[in-house]
Amino acid sequence: MTGSVYTETVVHLAPEAFAADVPYQVVIVTLEDGTRTTGRILGDRVAIDDRVEQVEMRDGVPFFRKLP
Amino acid sequence: MRPVAVVAAGKTPFGAFPDRDLRSLAVEAGDKCLKKGHVTPSHVEAFYLGNFAGPSFVGQNHLAPYISTALGIRDVPATRFEAACASSGSAFFHAFSAVSSGLYDCVLVAGVEKMTSQPTARVTEILAGAGDCSGEIKAGSTFPSLFAMIARRHMYQYGTTREDLAAVAVKNHANGALNPDAHMRKVITIEQALNARPVAEPLYLYDCSLISDGAAAVLLMPLDRARDFTDKPVRILGVAQASDFVALDQKADITTFPAVRRAAVKAYEMAGVTPRDIQFAEVHDCFTIAEIVAIEDLGFIDRGCGGEYETNGATARDGEKPINASGGLKSKGHPVGATGVAQICDIVAQIRCEAGDMQLKRHSLGLAQNLGGSGASCVVSILGNA
Repeated sequence: MTGSVYTETVVHLAPEAFAADVPYQVVIVTLEDGTRTTGRILGDRVAIDDRVEQVEMRDGVPFFRKLP
Repeated sequence: MRPVAVVAAGKTPFGAFPDRDLRSLAVEAGDKCLKKGHVTPSHVEAFYLGNFAGPSFVGQNHLAPYISTALGIRDVPATRFEAACASSGSAFFHAFSAVSSGLYDCVLVAGVEKMTSQPTARVTEILAGAGDCSGEIKAGSTFPSLFAMIARRHMYQYGTTREDLAAVAVKNHANGALNPDAHMRKVITIEQALNARPVAEPLYLYDCSLISDGAAAVLLMPLDRARDFTDKPVRILGVAQASDFVALDQKADITTFPAVRRAAVKAYEMAGVTPRDIQFAEVHDCFTIAEIVAIEDLGFIDRGCGGEYETNGATARDGEKPINASGGLKSKGHPVGATGVAQICDIVAQIRCEAGDMQLKRHSLGLAQNLGGSGASCVVSILGNA
């Protein structure tokens, strides 16, 4: 599944459950069908309008990677 | 619908009070309010309490009768309202409705939160419960990060800058320095705001409101009865609550809060006033970007122009539309369940010309905007001289 970044943030202060991941990037992605979903970024940081691809799903959370 | 007035208001200072528990804070605010209103607890016909997360923060549930009985209020309905950070705004709205409809003649509305007994990471986790825990929160979003994503999009669509956000923080800290009950009475510079550590980019430490303890209370009566208890009743001219999606990713455009716009339109209509008529406002600056979006959604300035309006000084104490003369959530503090009623207390003090060093020149028509979550609940109230 691919889509484009609608908005993003890099989180530096997180609850204990995510403390080990800090800093991590959270995104809202607009998918091809026009719906939006909140997920995480693996690898290179992304900016608004960047194209991303969903590479995994962990416990119902989509993880995306930047497309070249 | 009969006219309703605020007869009296009472607040605790906001801050970190390790030796105070939730109930003692609420009782202090409620007690002050009743005494100022020359009303005994036996006169109170209903108790409305706003509280977001007492059960999580301090392990106590069933909070409304837990507090009302400690105030000496017996037998009457005592109910807790929860609408995230708009909890006590919601309690105020529902109390107004009950008095206005004729159900009650004397209602005490209070808001309280005791947050500082938990470490920051746990507070962040509890606050995240106001988001969608099956989606955005599971993905690692925190409240700062939800508002950071709003800020990022606002910057992208309208050219809002980090300097605009910092201008909100600098102004609210300057205002809060004049407030004896503020949590952080500290003037900051724009450089301090810009160079602080990141929380969730593009939001930095000074873009975020404070984790505080505190309580606030107001006493409502029909206007004709209020005159028997005070020579300065403050009339509730308009008040409305609206709702929207809890999850940010369900919203069509995250740079605006439809619930704020809907509540504002209704409140303006009810009061028979326009945004231009409002002389000053207390808005929900849980994050600096939230104040910018609020002043746009309330119609004080066109969409996308809020950042520039802040930077130009229009919202300063001596500006054309003073916003958060109390210091706002940013500097006064944000005990979340107390915030909505505390805003009403601040508006009432200004209208009565009892705001001390914070007193504004134009103070006869004020607005309070209390937001819950990332915009899923909003209460807008307009108050004026009776």
